[in-house]
Order: sequence, then C-alpha cells, then structure tokens
Amino acid sequence: MSDATGSAPEEPRRDESDGLLDTHSPRKIVAWATVGGLAVLLAAGALFPDSLAGTLSDVITSRNTLASALRLSVPIAFAALGGIFAEKSGVINIGLEGLLIISAFTAVYVTDVTGGVWLGFGGGIIASTLLAALFAVVTIRFRADQIIAGLAVWLIALGLAPFASQVIYGGPNTSTVPTIGAISVPVLSEIPFFGALFSASPSVYLLFLAVALSWYVFERTSFGRWIRASGENPKALDTAGVNVAHVRYAAVLLSGVLSGMGGAALSLDLGQFTGNGPTMVNGKGFIAIVAYLFGNYNPIGAFLSTMLFAGLDAIQTALQLQGIGVPRQLIRITPFVIVIVILALVGRTRTPEAAGEYYESGEE
Amino acid sequence: MATAVHLDGITKRFPGVVANDDVDLAVERGTVHALLGENGAGKTTLMNVLYGLYEPTSGRVLVDEEVRSFDSPRDAIDAGVGMIHQHFMLVDPMTVTENITLGNEPRKWGGLAVDRAAAREAVVELSDRYGFDVDPDARVEDISVGEQQRVEILKALYRGADVLILDEPTAVLTPQEVEELFGVLEELTAQGKTIIFITHKLGEAMRAADDITVLRDGRNVGSVKADETTREDLAELMVGREVLLDVDRPPAETGDVVASVSNVVVDDDRGVRAVDDVSFDVRAGEVFGIAGVDGNGQSELVEALTGLRRPQHGRIEFLGDDVTADSRRQRIEEGMAYIPEDRQERGLVMDFDLTENALLGSQHSKEFGPNGRIDWPATRTHAEAIIDEYDVRPPDADAISESLSGGNQQKFIVGREFERDPELVVASHPTRGVDVGSIEFIHERLLELRQQGVAVLLVSSKLEEVQGLSDRLGVIYEGEFIDVVDPDETTEEELGLLMAGEHPDEDDADASTDATESGSAEAATGGDRP
Amino acid sequence: MSVGDRARDVLARLANASATERILISTAALLLSILVGAVLVLVAGRMTACTPNEAVYYFGTGFCYDPILVFDRLFLGALGDPLSGGWSPDGQFSVTLRETTLLIFAGLSVALAFRAGIFNIGTQGQMVVGALATAVAVLWGATLVSGVLGTVVLVPFGILVGAVFGGLYGAIPGFLKAYADANEVITTIMLNFIATGVTLYLVSGVFKDPESAANQTVPLPEYAQFPTVLFGGRQDFSLVALFFGLLAIAGLYYLLEHTAFGYDVRTSGIQPEAAEYSGVDAPRTVVASLTLSGALGGVAGAMYVMMILGTFQTGVPSYGFDGITVSILAGNNPLGVGIAALLFGVLKSGTTVVQFATDVPPQLVGVLRGLIILFVAMPEFFRLVGKRITDTGSRAVATDGGRPEPAAGSSGTSGDDGGESDE
Repeated sequence: MSDATGSAPEEPRRDESDGLLDTHSPRKIVAWATVGGLAVLLAAGALFPDSLAGTLSDVITSRNTLASALRLSVPIAFAALGGIFAEKSGVINIGLEGLLIISAFTAVYVTDVTGGVWLGFGGGIIASTLLAALFAVVTIRFRADQIIAGLAVWLIALGLAPFASQVIYGGPNTSTVPTIGAISVPVLSEIPFFGALFSASPSVYLLFLAVALSWYVFERTSFGRWIRASGENPKALDTAGVNVAHVRYAAVLLSGVLSGMGGAALSLDLGQFTGNGPTMVNGKGFIAIVAYLFGNYNPIGAFLSTMLFAGLDAIQTALQLQGIGVPRQLIRITPFVIVIVILALVGRTRTPEAAGEYYESGEE
Repeated sequence: MATAVHLDGITKRFPGVVANDDVDLAVERGTVHALLGENGAGKTTLMNVLYGLYEPTSGRVLVDEEVRSFDSPRDAIDAGVGMIHQHFMLVDPMTVTENITLGNEPRKWGGLAVDRAAAREAVVELSDRYGFDVDPDARVEDISVGEQQRVEILKALYRGADVLILDEPTAVLTPQEVEELFGVLEELTAQGKTIIFITHKLGEAMRAADDITVLRDGRNVGSVKADETTREDLAELMVGREVLLDVDRPPAETGDVVASVSNVVVDDDRGVRAVDDVSFDVRAGEVFGIAGVDGNGQSELVEALTGLRRPQHGRIEFLGDDVTADSRRQRIEEGMAYIPEDRQERGLVMDFDLTENALLGSQHSKEFGPNGRIDWPATRTHAEAIIDEYDVRPPDADAISESLSGGNQQKFIVGREFERDPELVVASHPTRGVDVGSIEFIHERLLELRQQGVAVLLVSSKLEEVQGLSDRLGVIYEGEFIDVVDPDETTEEELGLLMAGEHPDEDDADASTDATESGSAEAATGGDRP
Repeated sequence: MSVGDRARDVLARLANASATERILISTAALLLSILVGAVLVLVAGRMTACTPNEAVYYFGTGFCYDPILVFDRLFLGALGDPLSGGWSPDGQFSVTLRETTLLIFAGLSVALAFRAGIFNIGTQGQMVVGALATAVAVLWGATLVSGVLGTVVLVPFGILVGAVFGGLYGAIPGFLKAYADANEVITTIMLNFIATGVTLYLVSGVFKDPESAANQTVPLPEYAQFPTVLFGGRQDFSLVALFFGLLAIAGLYYLLEHTAFGYDVRTSGIQPEAAEYSGVDAPRTVVASLTLSGALGGVAGAMYVMMILGTFQTGVPSYGFDGITVSILAGNNPLGVGIAALLFGVLKSGTTVVQFATDVPPQLVGVLRGLIILFVAMPEFFRLVGKRITDTGSRAVATDGGRPEPAAGSSGTSGDDGGESDE
C-alpha cells in the first residue's frame, strides 16, 4: 500500500504553490541589479576611461572576458542542466560534484590510453553515467535518502579519482594529454566582443546545443511532461499509466550524461586532471545546483545564471592579472560568497512538490 | 440490462487486517451505483482492486462479463475503467489540457513533439460533448475544486473510460458544486457511461444513485435499489446497530469570556487572504462551534488563535490579556489546549512512544521539565494515567504512536490536551477518521469539560457534530462568518445554505465570489513561470 | 531516576527492534564497503606495474596488490599488531586512538545537526575556523602563562576558543536557514570553501610564521598542547583528549535524551510540524543546533591544533567529511558515534600502515568513506537481502522519511490508518 492511499488522507488539498510571491521578486531584483550595475559601470567607464571604472569596463567588454566566462561556465552549466532533469523528476541530485569529478578524471585517463580526445570525452560521459546509475538504483530502487546518497556519490568520486590517479600516475595529478582545441567560425568570429561566441571550444557549442535541447524536451515533448509530473505529483503520472520509476531512472541517467560532458570538457580543456584537495572541480557541482535554483529550473535560466557566476569569475581573474584590488586568496572565494548571497536572497525556491520523496507505485 | 462490472468474491488482506471479505458486487451498465459505508468499511480498498492498484488476495474481477486481471491502473484503463480519487491526481502547475492528456499525449514529428493543437482540440471536443465548462488552457492550481474534479472526470473519459469510479467525490465540494456534480453524473449515464461512487453520506447515495451497496467491516451487507429503501434501513445496515443520533446536551451555564477574537485577518501560506475580519467570543462553560466546508479558512483561524500563525490584523484576547503577539509556547503555558486537525502531522510524533508523546507541549513545563531537565518517570506516570483514563489501546506507554489505530491516537491526544487543566480547548475536527465508539467517547468528554466550566471552540465539517455539541454556532464561508446561529433553532438545510455562503433569503451569489477568488489567486501566484 | 532505572532504560532502548536493525545494517554496510574496497584494490593492482615476483596470484591472474595483505595491514596494523607480540601503546594503536578522538568530535557535530533534521556538511569548515582561532588565541595566551599552570589553563582555553569560533561559524548557515530559508547543504559546503580560502589568506599573511616556508602559524610551545599520559608522545595522542571525547559523547547523549532542549531538537528533526505545535521556536532551534554542532566541530579543530599538529597549517585533513560517515554509521546516535569513530579511526590509521607495506594509496580510505555512507543510506537493500536469507517475514521498519508499511490498524474499525482514505 502506498502512502497516498493510507497515511495522510486528511491533508487538505492544497491547490496553491508555496512561496512564489516570496521568490519572485528577489530573483528579479538580483537580475536587474546585475544588469543595472553593469550599465552604470559601462557608462562610467566610457566617461572616465582612466578611472577604476574605466579599467573595469575595459575588462568587462573585453572579448577575452566573454571567452573565459564561456569556458568557465561549461562544466557548471552542463551539471546544472543535469541537475534540472533529475530534480524535476523528483530526485534531488546533490552528487553533481561527484559526477563532474569522476568524468573529469576518466576523460583524461581514456584520452591518455587511447590517444583520442573525443574517445576520452566519451569515456568521461560513460563514467559519470555509471555513477549516476548507481545513485539512481540506490535512491529509486532502494529508497535511500536522496541527500545522503548524493553526498555519498560526491565523497566516493572525491576519493576514487585521486586514488586512481595515484595508482596510475603516481600522484594526485595526471599527466597532460592533448586538449580539445577550438573551432572558429569564419567572419562571425571577427565580430568584436561577441566574436568570442564563434571562436570557442567545441564543448561550448555542445553546451548551446544541450541548453536548447533541454528546453525543447521540457516544453515540447511527452517525456518532458512526464518528468515534470513525476516530480510534482508522481501518483498522477502513475495512475495515468506511466511508470514513474522508469521516468526517474531516465532523468537521473540524463543528469549523468550531461554532467559527464561538463566534467570531460573541464579536464580536456586543460589537458590534465588535478586531484589535490577538492580537486579541479572545486565546488562547481554545488554552484551548478544554485545556478539552476536561481534559474528557476529553466534550462535557459540556468545557463544565464551560470554565465553570471562565470562572468564574475572571469572578471576577477582578469582583474588579478591587472594587479587590482583584493588578495588572490580572497578573490578565489568570491564565487562561493556570491552563491550564499544569492541563496539567501532567493530563499526557498518553488521546488517540485515531490522532490526528495521516494515514490512507490501501488502495492508492493 | 448488461452488467458492466462484476466483482466476484473479492477478498483483500493486509498484514493483520482483512479489508475486504468475500465481497460480491454487480453494477449495471448506464447506472449510478453507490458504494456506501463508514470509514474503514473497505470501500476504497475494493475500488482500488477494481482499478488495478491492489491485487486481490482472492476473487475475480469481471468487466463486460469477461474475467480480467489488472496488474496496474494501466490495465484497468485499457479495459475502460477510470477512477477519480478523493485526492485528485492532478499536476498543479500544468494546464488542464496537459493534465487530461498526460501519459497519452497526441504526438507529431514521429513522436518527437507533443501535438499541442490536437491535444487542445480533443479536450475541447470532449468537454463540449458532456457539457463540461472547463478552460483547457487554465493551470490546474488556478481553478476551483469543482472544476478540478471535472478535469479528473475528463481525464478518465479521454482515456476511453466506460466505467467511472468516484471516491468520495462530494467531500471537498460546496452543496452547489455537489448539485452540479450530480447533474454531470446524470449526463454521463444518459450517454451510456457507468458510475460507481463511493460515499459515507446516506443522503447523497439516496439522491444520486440507482443502486446502493452497503459495505461494513469489509463485507457486503446488502445491495438495494435506491427507490426501494429508506434512510433508516441504510443507516442500520451501515453501522449494524441503533444509531445514537442526538447527543444529550444539558443547558449551558456560561461564565466570563475566556477567548475573544476581534476583526482577525489571516493569510494562508501563499499570502492569499484566508480569514477576513472574523470576530467572536468563547465563554467559560460553552461550546462555540464553527461549521463550514473544509478549506474556508477554519484551519488558518484556528492556527491564528493557537499561536501557530500570525494574523495580519486584529486582536486575540485570552483570559482578558492581549495575546496576539504571544508565541505558541506562551499560549500553551497560559492554559490553551489544542486538538489539532492533523494528528499524524502535528498532534503526535509518530516515531515517538506514548511516554515521549505525553510530553509534547509540556517539555518546558514545571511539572515535567523543571530547569530544562526532563523528568521521565513523572512523564511516564502521566502517560499511563492518560492511557488508563481515556481507554487508549494497547495500554502500553512504550508503544510507538505509529502502531496505534487512528481512534486510539486521537483518544491519546484528547487525553493529553484535556489533562492540561486548560481554560480553553480548541478542538479542530476532533473525531475525523475516528471509529464510532471513540467518537461517542470524545463527545462525552468534551461535554464533561464544558460542564466543568471550560470554554470549548469546536471546528468541524460534520454538520451533526457541530450542531449537536455547540451552544452557539458560527458558519464560515470563504474566510468570513456568514452568521452566528443557535444550532437548536436552525435546520440542517438552513445550515447547508449558510455553509454555501448564502443567507436563506438571498439568492445564488456564489458564482461571482468564486470568480473573484480564483482571480485573486492568479494575481498572487502568476507570472513566475519559466 | 535511579541508576537501575537508567540502566534498564538503556537496555530497553538497545533491545528495541529498530535499534538492533540499525546496528545490523551498519555492520553489513561496513563489511560490504570493505568488500568493494577489496575489489577496488585488486583492480588497482591490475592497473599498476610491478615485477612478477612481487605480484600475488588469485584465480590464475597476477595482481600487484594483495587485498588480504592490505586488509591485514589495515586492521591489525592499525591496532599496533597485537598478534605478533611486542605491542606497545606507543605504536600505531595510539595513532588509531588519536584519529578516533577527532572523529568523535566531528561525528558528534554531524550527529547533533542530523538529529535536528539539518544536514550540516560544514563541520569541516567549522573545524578549520576553530583550529585557526585556537592556534592564534593559545599562542597569545602562551605569552601570559607557562609550565604546568600553562597547560591547565591553556588547553581548556584553547578548546573554548575553538568551540566559540566553530560555533559562530556554524551559526551563519543556521541564521541563513532559519531566517532566509537558504538550503543548509549548499551554504555549509560553500562555507567550507570560504573557510579554507580565508584561513589560507590569514595564515599566509598576518598570522604567518616568519620562520617557516609553509603557510602556518608559529608553533605552540609544548606546555600549550595536550599532555601525553600513559601513551608516548611520538604519535601525538593524548588520553586526556580522548577523555574529553568520551565526556562529549555522554554530554550529548544526556542533552538529547534528558533535557527539554534535546526533546525540542529531536522533535524538530523528525516532525517539524509537531515541534511547532508543541511550542518549539523553530528558527531558534535551528540556529541553536547548528551553533552547537559548529562548536563541536570547532573543538575538533582545537584538538587537531593542540594535540596533533602543534600549529595551524593550511590543508586540514577532511575530518569533517569523515564525521558524516561516522555519524551515519552510528545512526546519528551519540553512543554509536563512539563505536563508529573507533571503527573509522582504525580504517584511517590503517591506511597509513597499508601505504608503507603495499604502496596502495591512502586515498583508499576516502573511497571507503563514501561507500559506507552510500550503503548505510540504503537499508532497504539489506532488508531485501536479509529477507531472502532468513525469510522471517518480520515487519519492515519505517525508514527515516519513508512512510510506514501498511499500518492497516489493529482492528476492523480503525480510522485513517486503514485501507480507506475516505472521510
């Protein structure tokens, strides 16, 4: 017997959605504050080119900044897309960080062994998907608490990647392998600033494709609707004759595939995996979670908020090179501080109604 | 006439309990068949068997005189059986069309996209055919409960259902919506559909059904034609013994005002006004009742009074002091006892044993938690006293609350709250989901307390209960008191009209209020979607 | 309550079916993790290079690492080789106890938060903050007192400072959760990164030891560190610290089971609506629990500085994450934390022995850490396996968060627990 027929029959029907009013305005405020701040800064920079504002706006409008923001956002945005699939289906995947770690390492290892960068890329995806499959079985089949199982996925990868690197390469860092390289679109890549969009790593183009496809899946396909229903009211989907467990498996595996692309792109972009401390992934999986929360579970929103994080990251790197401002160690923590500030402002988002809950169809 | 559904000797056992015991049921095509019985009589279980959610321990299911074996609702749907659950199986943020077509979306481009135009077309066509009035593009969370129910029915029809099972379809409806529903049922049977509807309300079964089958303790105790039986006969079949219809209530000897609520305005969780400018007093030695259909602001009003929710405006006084800003804990300490409407969410910690639960609300009291240190032996003695006094079974202070039946859980809560020596008892649906024996017991205790001069605020959606126990009765509709009446001078019909938001002398006014309600809900929630 | 009552109380709780089941599941999870670890070692042994006569052979295949040797080293090595004679308290066993001591505090920190229904992943950061604060404060204190008096004053002082700063750092996600509804899993993880960054900045700047090339504070004088009793000083273990740990276990147990605050915490953890109903101030309890949890993490940091390192250095080992494993293994029960900390202490100390003996990287323990959490988190798996083995058909016990099996009521007239969901 499932809980819906037995244990909580008295709960009055709540045909409302909690907290929309609460979350709506802060999200907008942050978005507009960013846009407004940028506008003011750029205006000031144009008026006083020699001031700090001038330097800043130079950095912001630099094509290099956009290029590095795109590069930095690839792993985060891929993981965020994966997180959207999983969480919309009702499985909170807090182990995205672990998926990124395992795919980042595997991609380099497979590239090293086979000599093929794209083979390595595929290897990273497979590793991440396998780990996601483990997570899926544990949470969907064996009712594990999603948060705890997600933490376990993270910690397993955090241990496994450096372990394997130590075994194979004799240290937490791997040897270097060839990188993916970049593809330039003729003419378009000559455009100032936005040209960076057309002269980027293939993984950036893959990301654009993944964002568009994810949007399409959610908005236009049956599968996308089933995912939403599975996260909002699994019983409704079940009684409509769709197997909730299958939908959730598919969604979690997709989160593995997408995170795998992100992790592989991350390490193959540099041609090395570094496994010291929090590894080269360094919290990107968790930032991805905040990115999609802030993006309101919308693939495009998640991509834009990722660009916000990555853009700030790119700017601070550029500023470091110019030798401006705060010490290096403190600048490094800015993304994490921003995550907390945004989380505090956005507060509770409208998470899918049944997210985090185990669902059991009908009778055992 | 042909038999649309035939259940033959269905038995369904759960660990430790037989929910259905060798039940036979035959439903004629094109009729409305009511499945009548008290809570726990096994009605829903039986229908879940028919719908493929449960596999029967033994017995056969025949649809269209053909033996069927349903492993899942999908099989039942394929055989033309649809079910409308009491808790609607709808996805709130999705539109009406999306909900109706869920799992069976029309597709195009080789299945790569939902054909949204075709889906909408199908929904419009279907709702026109049966004369339903639903907006295919509205989001389910923005439409009224009655409309949601129609969406559920359309969902079943879209899947080709010929047999529709409705589980307690009237529980969440206003009397007017109930009438509309019965009209819909007539239309459906006229077009050849078969309806089985589960209810525990005699009157509705008599009013809407052609045939009635009564279940008691998991057994079929009689199938009759609706126009060949009487209410009294059905009542006796249902409970199996003489029904105590009237509560013996001695005249009230009221004293001072204990609790006073003035001009209170309360918003619900999403910031929508739930209680709008309500005022009333509760005096020592009286039961003040609040009647109304569920979801008309009762919960929010009670939470504001007991300190679980902060009112937006207004003033709450208790024993002459303004307690509007007092915390829940302060109000407990001041002598406010509270039987919450949801015992498994609030009233008891389900994983705690009864000793630990006896402490709930008293953990900081001088008696059981002096200086922040819990006196477990005293708590245990207290728990045993409650168990003894209120006949809680099993009589074991170490029993985990989870393992108790609903009635015994409720008796324990009632005992704990009454033993606080309170000045005011707020009893919210105190007998909901409780067996008949426990109901009587709780009613008696409540009246005893009143005799001792305690003030009682009773909230219930059961008319007999509020009418029988209350000395004065406020009727709430859409967050406002429609009227405060003397329950002994008011008929059930008059109360029913009041509960629907109408004064007896007024005419149909709720269509417009409905519209403004859903309109404001939309304004408050809209616009944040991707 | 008399001593007898209390003992009976404890026994009753231990005899409780669900408690027994928990212990069984934890044990099974631990064994399964070790088994998977063994497979991993074998696989790793295939991937690394070694000469044929170094290799061991199973099933006709050569492996460079011998899992049996690995686990022999892991366990017997960690216990200081009690079977081979010549056991001394000064050996590896004291490393094991040293790790156990820190794991007790880290585990209690996580356990307290979990009991309150809060996922505190930030014990690591709270520990780092507490450690640096302790190092700086005790260094300052050491200029005022010295000798035996110095030890008596400075050690408790250092613990207090660690607790206060760890607690304050824990209060941040507490406030964010209570008043801004910010998910504590994310905020605590972010605060771990921030703690690492900020301490790196401080310890490579203002608090840096000018004499040292490493990013560390000036080393504490001997008298400002934990005294070694019975066990030799070589392995940086102090019985006094372990005693503090046992005291903390007893204290947290008492707090949770015998105080009104503990009752508030437990109720909030398993059924927040009921807690609110009973008059618990939910935001305050969240802040208080996370502060206390952070304080325990801070004490772990103080211990790390005053017992093990004698200074603060960047790159604090991830005891905070180990604490999650310990707490989950212990079912978030303070008494269980003691046992789980010892078990995991053996694992941690054992991996260093393993590295010496076999070249298997010590990161193995990091993998085990995650595996144990994963396996403990899926009790349903072990129940299914157990059912298949014993087939006793005993009633499944509800998991945290999961709804119970059909508690279809014990009588035919049961109300809402029954198969009926009608009014």
